[in-house]
Amino acid sequence: MSEWEPKIVSFLCNWCSYGAADLAGVSRMQYAPNIRVVRIPCTGRMSPKFALAALREGADAVWVSG
Amino acid sequence: MMKNLLEFMGVEPDRIHFSWISSAESTKFVEVVNKITAKVKAIGPNQRFVKQAAKVA
Amino acid sequence: MSTYTDTMRETARRLLQECKVELVIGFRRGSRPMMNEPCLVRKPEDADQLVWDSNCGINLANYLTNRKEKIGIFAKGCDSRNIVTHILENKVQRDQLTVIGVPCLGMIDKRKIAAATEGEILEVTENGDTITVKTAAGEKQFAKAEVMQQNCSVCTHRNPVIHDEMIADPVPEQTDVDPYADVAAIDAMDLEERWAYFDDLLDPCIRCYACRNACPLCYCPTCFVDESKPQWVGKGQDAMDVRTFHFLRAYHCAGRCTDCGACERACPVGINMRLLTKKLNKDCKELYDWEAGLSLDKRPALDSYQANDPENFIK
Repeated sequence: MSEWEPKIVSFLCNWCSYGAADLAGVSRMQYAPNIRVVRIPCTGRMSPKFALAALREGADAVWVSG
Repeated sequence: MMKNLLEFMGVEPDRIHFSWISSAESTKFVEVVNKITAKVKAIGPNQRFVKQAAKVA
Repeated sequence: MSTYTDTMRETARRLLQECKVELVIGFRRGSRPMMNEPCLVRKPEDADQLVWDSNCGINLANYLTNRKEKIGIFAKGCDSRNIVTHILENKVQRDQLTVIGVPCLGMIDKRKIAAATEGEILEVTENGDTITVKTAAGEKQFAKAEVMQQNCSVCTHRNPVIHDEMIADPVPEQTDVDPYADVAAIDAMDLEERWAYFDDLLDPCIRCYACRNACPLCYCPTCFVDESKPQWVGKGQDAMDVRTFHFLRAYHCAGRCTDCGACERACPVGINMRLLTKKLNKDCKELYDWEAGLSLDKRPALDSYQANDPENFIK
């Protein structure tokens, strides 16, 4: 392995950031490949348990976006 | 508040991020992804709150 | 405070005789010194069991959850705030309750007494501010302030916030205490020190969940620690599991905790897990100007939205 790359577990709201991610994709924009996306129906579905579960399973960071 | 408590217990503040991005803001999305990735790279791998796999003898 | 006992028995007897309530929740003497236990009195003639002294630290609001009867309950300052929280969370209705307010001067910490004496403790009596402890080795006297529970010594709500009757006149509130001094001490540490501090603090935890069971806020039908699909937290004594448990337990009390000290009191190994809930209380106070259980008319900080809620953590 050449260099360590972080894993960032991202909780994205279906209607906001997930849409933005989709738009970024269809617009062929370049961005860092370190995020692992979990789509949640709304940021209201987010729970501190999720963030902790991600960290416990070895994620390097958690990102919640509405 | 959750972030505060994590920090209180000694987790690096850059381990958890929150943001607001509308579905039309793909440029902001890209910007935030890159910013967060850079920040996490700077603090290095997560050593805390990781559950080590059970060692089987 | 032990002088309250007679008035309490009378009050309980009267309420039961007049059929205003079906049961009264109070304390009776426990089987060992300093271990008063909660008791439910249903018959007027049983009211003589009730006692009150400085060993009534258990939070009685815990026994109200989902009850349907008409209830009379003795409430210290912290109990009454938890009763308010229960009413706000629809766990009990206000018109079911006859709250009998008990102005409180603090509860004694049995661990402090056990640490300062030798041999088995046979009897503990109190007279005003003096606590007399009789052990197999001899007799020792303490000033109450020395052996008080830490949360009581920094308590700023000693008088009940709601009551239908009062057992005695309100006591003066403490105004010159800093409830968050211990939290500030940790805030001053750097990340490494904090991590190590909590490693030490939580190390003895045996995952008995006494803190959860003693807490009036913890009434979920299935607690997250008991869920297995998905399993949020392992059930063993792995340091990370212990930490996750304490983190989430505290977080579930955010904006609801009244710092009654029931969790710490119940802990068999004496962990001060109140530090975590206190940090959240402090944040609630600073960010939302909110203290739990002070009013029946205000919604809790974390279940209402206001345009001026802080949002600087969002990018």
